[in-house]
Amino acid sequence: MGIAAFLHGAGFTGSGERYLNSVVGVEGCADGSVRVLVSSTEFGQGTNTVLSQIAAEALGLPYENVTMAQPDTSEVPNSGPTVASRTVMVVGKLVQSAALGIKQTLISSGLLHENYSADEFIAACRRYVAEHGQFRCWSRYEAPSDIFWDDEKYRGEAYAAFAWAIYVAEVTVDLTTYSVTVDDFVALQEVGKVLHPLLARGQIIGGIAQAIGFSLYEKVVWQNGRMQNNQMTNYIMPTASDLPPIRVFFEELGNVYGAYGAKGIGELPMDGPAPAIVNAVEDALGVRFDSIPLLPEDIMNGLNKDDLTRDGLTVTTENGVGSARGVR
Amino acid sequence: MDSPGPRTESEISFVVNGEQKTVHAYPMERLLDVLRQQLQLTGTKEGCGEGECGSCSVLMDGILVNSCLVPVLQAEGSRVVTIEGIAAGESLHAVQQAFLECGGAQCGICTPGMILAACHLLNEKTEPTLEEIREGLSGNLCRCTGYSQIVQAVAEAARRRRTTA
Repeated sequence: MGIAAFLHGAGFTGSGERYLNSVVGVEGCADGSVRVLVSSTEFGQGTNTVLSQIAAEALGLPYENVTMAQPDTSEVPNSGPTVASRTVMVVGKLVQSAALGIKQTLISSGLLHENYSADEFIAACRRYVAEHGQFRCWSRYEAPSDIFWDDEKYRGEAYAAFAWAIYVAEVTVDLTTYSVTVDDFVALQEVGKVLHPLLARGQIIGGIAQAIGFSLYEKVVWQNGRMQNNQMTNYIMPTASDLPPIRVFFEELGNVYGAYGAKGIGELPMDGPAPAIVNAVEDALGVRFDSIPLLPEDIMNGLNKDDLTRDGLTVTTENGVGSARGVR
Repeated sequence: MDSPGPRTESEISFVVNGEQKTVHAYPMERLLDVLRQQLQLTGTKEGCGEGECGSCSVLMDGILVNSCLVPVLQAEGSRVVTIEGIAAGESLHAVQQAFLECGGAQCGICTPGMILAACHLLNEKTEPTLEEIREGLSGNLCRCTGYSQIVQAVAEAARRRRTTA
């Protein structure tokens, strides 16, 4: 069994978000629906779902009333790239703020009162567009006043928020083939408020699966600057039967700098599995490994190099090939 | 270089999603390309193009095949089912519905093939164990989900089928 305790900063590092200076737009449309204008790109991680949720929540509208503009730069502002575990936390916070702009505009123009229904919002929004034309509110990133990174001295707060996690891996090392199987995997993380539990769980499990892949299987072989094994036949990634059930748990402590208390989630699950698995292999064999992917040949070499007789583990060498029996 | 002969298209007929189709294609064209380009059934995705990833999976006479490895000639006279033939009109198949509810799809490239593999598995086994589901889907690679929610979706579809049967 092996444990890894780790963290991952959300958003761009240091002054990154300050320089990016992201802008987000929310539009009240002629038909009374709401459209979110961001350059963040949906590729299965759930960006469209969660940003729509945020806009709907900020406006007190059903989720179905919100659509996403295609992230075409002729149409949407530059809200920065879809990277760095920043979309929900940073872009989402701007969506929340721009959506509030729509609400405040409708209220201050006298078209809407404070406690409105979805139908009243739609009517007010239609009327605003009919009277004034295109109705868009923008929100630009402003660095929190208590978060500062000094580019000169390279000191300060590197991130506005960190996600925290503890991952535990249980492995079996086959002492005949030297292959490692992950039998069980438990992932506990604090990622602020979880805005969409099913998607968040999917992000965590998917990241862990990728990281188990690069811990135990996926070796890039370079030759003359090119990847030699650039096929799925020789670059091996895990199948459904290579992976354990991955048990996911969330703590939700919140985050004042993120939309509705959210922090970044995307990169975090890539960080913990490799150390947890390598620690579990060390716990099983008593041999320290310090590189990944940890392939059967690496384990064989590690066992051969090391002291061959140890507590609870007898290693014999025949014809130069080591074999070990017993599990610590 | 001498050519072994003129490349000629053949007339090839097979049933796709219950409809009789006749295509004019070179015999060694990939079934995948004929489905996507001639029949406009673009739900079937090309992943690796070398029979490893399973994203182009379709059912051919009830057998799960990688359509990137099937010369269209072999489809002559067969019954092919693609992802477009899984739902009954607007009403989703139990496997599709369970994928939706359990978060079985993320980027979506593996999803059509994964759903066909799941349908195939559930045709073979009425009460698959979680291990059998993982084994049954192991010809279909997924890079983003980590498989757990897919496995859960297939188990859920199997459970619903038992309780409604």
